[in-house]
Amino acid sequence: MSSSTVSVSAATPTQHHFQRKVDDIKPSKTDINFVVMDYLISEGYPRAAEKFAKEANIQLPLEEESIQSRVEIRCAIHAGDIDTAINKINDLNPQILDTDPALHFALLRLQLIELIRKCTSTPSTDITPALNFASSQLAPRAATNPDFLKDLELTMSLLIFLPADTLQPQLAVLLQPTLRRQVASKVNEAILTSMGCRGEARMRGLVRLRLWAERKAREAGKDLPPSLPLGLQDGEGQQNGNGEPADIMVQ
Amino acid sequence: MSRRGSYAQVASGNTGSIQTNPAPSRWGTFSHLSNSGSNPHSASHPRHSRPNDADGHHNSMSTSLGRSGPLPSYTSQFGYLNGYGGAHDGPTASAFFVPSYLRGSKHAEKLEEVHRARAAAQREHRSTHSSHAGSLSTSSSSVNLHKMSSAHRGLSHEVIERAPVFVEEPVAPWPMRWNDTDKFPQVEIEDGGRQAKFAGAQKTHDEAASVRADYPMPRQCGIYYYEVTVISKGKDGRMIGVGFSGPKVPLNRIPGWEPDSYAYHGDDGQCFSNTTSGKSYGPKFGTLDVIGCGINFRTNTAFFTKNGQFLKTAFRDLKPNVPYYPTVGMKKSNETLRANFGQEPFAFDIDKMVQAEKGTIQAEITRAKGPYKEVSTDETQFIHTLIGQYLAHDGYVDTARAFAEEVGDEVKALANDEDADIPYLDTEEDIDATQRQKIRAAILDGDIDKALKHTTAYYPTVLRDNENIYFKLRCRKFIEMIRKCNELKEHMHPIPTPPSKRSTASNNANNTNRNSTATDEYDFEMELDEQLGVHNGAPWEADEEEDDEDIEDKEAKHLDMESKTIAYGQELQAEFLNDPRREVKKALEDTFALIAYENVRESTLAPLLETSGRMPVAEELNSAILVSLGKSSSAALERLVQQTEALVNELADDGGPGAFINVRRDFLQ
Repeated sequence: MSSSTVSVSAATPTQHHFQRKVDDIKPSKTDINFVVMDYLISEGYPRAAEKFAKEANIQLPLEEESIQSRVEIRCAIHAGDIDTAINKINDLNPQILDTDPALHFALLRLQLIELIRKCTSTPSTDITPALNFASSQLAPRAATNPDFLKDLELTMSLLIFLPADTLQPQLAVLLQPTLRRQVASKVNEAILTSMGCRGEARMRGLVRLRLWAERKAREAGKDLPPSLPLGLQDGEGQQNGNGEPADIMVQ
Repeated sequence: MSRRGSYAQVASGNTGSIQTNPAPSRWGTFSHLSNSGSNPHSASHPRHSRPNDADGHHNSMSTSLGRSGPLPSYTSQFGYLNGYGGAHDGPTASAFFVPSYLRGSKHAEKLEEVHRARAAAQREHRSTHSSHAGSLSTSSSSVNLHKMSSAHRGLSHEVIERAPVFVEEPVAPWPMRWNDTDKFPQVEIEDGGRQAKFAGAQKTHDEAASVRADYPMPRQCGIYYYEVTVISKGKDGRMIGVGFSGPKVPLNRIPGWEPDSYAYHGDDGQCFSNTTSGKSYGPKFGTLDVIGCGINFRTNTAFFTKNGQFLKTAFRDLKPNVPYYPTVGMKKSNETLRANFGQEPFAFDIDKMVQAEKGTIQAEITRAKGPYKEVSTDETQFIHTLIGQYLAHDGYVDTARAFAEEVGDEVKALANDEDADIPYLDTEEDIDATQRQKIRAAILDGDIDKALKHTTAYYPTVLRDNENIYFKLRCRKFIEMIRKCNELKEHMHPIPTPPSKRSTASNNANNTNRNSTATDEYDFEMELDEQLGVHNGAPWEADEEEDDEDIEDKEAKHLDMESKTIAYGQELQAEFLNDPRREVKKALEDTFALIAYENVRESTLAPLLETSGRMPVAEELNSAILVSLGKSSSAALERLVQQTEALVNELADDGGPGAFINVRRDFLQ
């Protein structure tokens, strides 16, 4: 609870009444620090978490053993080294991939994309390893699930188009780093859930709640200022009120 | 010892008189020193309510206010206080309860806070009386304090643990009983308001006897639900109506037949809204059937249940601005209906329905996606920016650096085949942040001098421009000195001093009594002056040395510390003596009162000594420094939380989807 009585905003006479309601809410620092710490731990930033525990004088959450492995797995997936990632996941808990075929398929598909990327980048263009991998690893799984099959077909079509300067959007996304990040974060969630933790960091829910709430409130015709800036830009404090569009969460 | 005893007496006497004074500012200035959870006005609020508590005009007041306009009574200034009155009823009626399906909801939390604050106020009221009486008696109040230590400890914890109560917006209570004054005259209300019985003669065709509950169903609950059991059907019993109606609907008609009234009737199983012509709805009902009635304010629909079975939606398009009171109507002699407003488990699994509703809304929230304009279109990136800015803003320098590095590594790994130089986190060294972190660390360690020194050196204007913070820091220093004294003393007296040792305190009883009856705070200050000045000398030391001679060294340290504390206290007093501000005077009084206690930890002032009091001062100073640098006083993440809560509140007030969200509980813990 910040009991800040230093209210810069009080000096602004033409303040929107909703802004006053916002200012009246005094979030507790403890809660905010909790959300930050929760994010650092569950999304795997161990060094920052350690420093934060020290600097904010809060307890490091019960030494959560998996954090190091989770960081390694994340790094492996981000780097496109899916083999290592799968091995590490199985070291941690073989059940995770066994019980989540969609996740396993997503990882294998990522691996296929990496193979395709590799074999299409050289002029020799030997696509045999990619074909072998697809038929031995992915095809049997795709046979059981129409969604998997669709994904596999799309992925395989990369072989036809690559190398290319421009790709159709649905193919281009397959080569974006975002896909790796998405899969990595799904894996992270699955590991956390398998250990009985909350899969997703609180911070994500909070950010979405903020978006959703503003959208809903505007739909319901609530009397809100035209924009609700967060002040992410330095120097753009409460003084200049709502102006800078730089940090507005838009719908 | 004897000297200390007298101070304790003086202080407790005066403290007592301050407590009886309902001045709201007693904790106001010092709330930052007590606990992070306390709102400046939370502790004082219950005192305001005290005069109203005893007020027996519960119903007359709430009804008159409630019927005065289209808004329910709780929007009036005092209406909500009466919700827990029931002083004229049996104990069952006044007992506070939370219906199972509302547990953990934001609205229930608010009501619980109001309830707790009220209960605490009553306890405080009683305890103030007793301690006041004690200090006036000839017995030494330091002994009293010692004996009462556990009680006091409990009280002080109560005070500091209480979550903030925002008095500006009274919280709408839910129905708790049938209303004695809002019924057809021949309806008898029994069993603490739970049972309604028609005691009159049989009604003619279009007449009936109805009764409304004490409060409307609060829209802020999102879904409100209650049940009624038909205890006994009257002779040839027919025509029981269960439903809800607006505050002005005549009570000599069965609910459902009048405008703004809605009900499910037992004789034909039809449901009626606003007219005498019904539509077929469900089965008939009679003796021992349990009929449930619920409104979903998000969808503005109503439904009924029978014996735990959901029937179907009965009404749609309920008016969003009419307060709907649970209402039942009867026609035959001796018909009796018993209500369950949540005091007992329900026959229907309403909890599940509310959970499902929450689930739907959660799923909707989970699907909410950016873009987060300009900063990034990506959620992860947006979160990283938020966290990075928060860490830098609040001066968590090392964490900010480590986080930037780790995120940087991640970005590099992701972009392995592209240009890896795309760090979106600003990793530049922020010299201000380092200095601010130093100042914060000093305060959190209790080293106020260091914090003052650094602040003056790095940000010379801050303390000058923010005199209130300067004052709080100076007070905090005094508190830290007292803490130090206490620590030293605890080393000296590992075993609590038996009360007999304090018998000498009674020597000063006369003196003390004269002082403790002093009514005005100015006298108290003069008196503190006198004590701080006069008793700061040899007689004190002599007393202390008599007590224990083995540990002279520690004793000497303690005495040294004590005299330094006193000297500092005088300095502080002198510096702010002429400060006209009331809150400064109050804060000074509270702070100086600390020195009067033999063992402050067992006094009502104990919260002032908590180390948790350091954090708010540190944060306030940090914010002031940021403002002086032209930066915003709160981090973007903090503002995000503020905005989120405010938006959700907006969405909850009219029973919208926000009613099913408890931001703190569901998203911050």
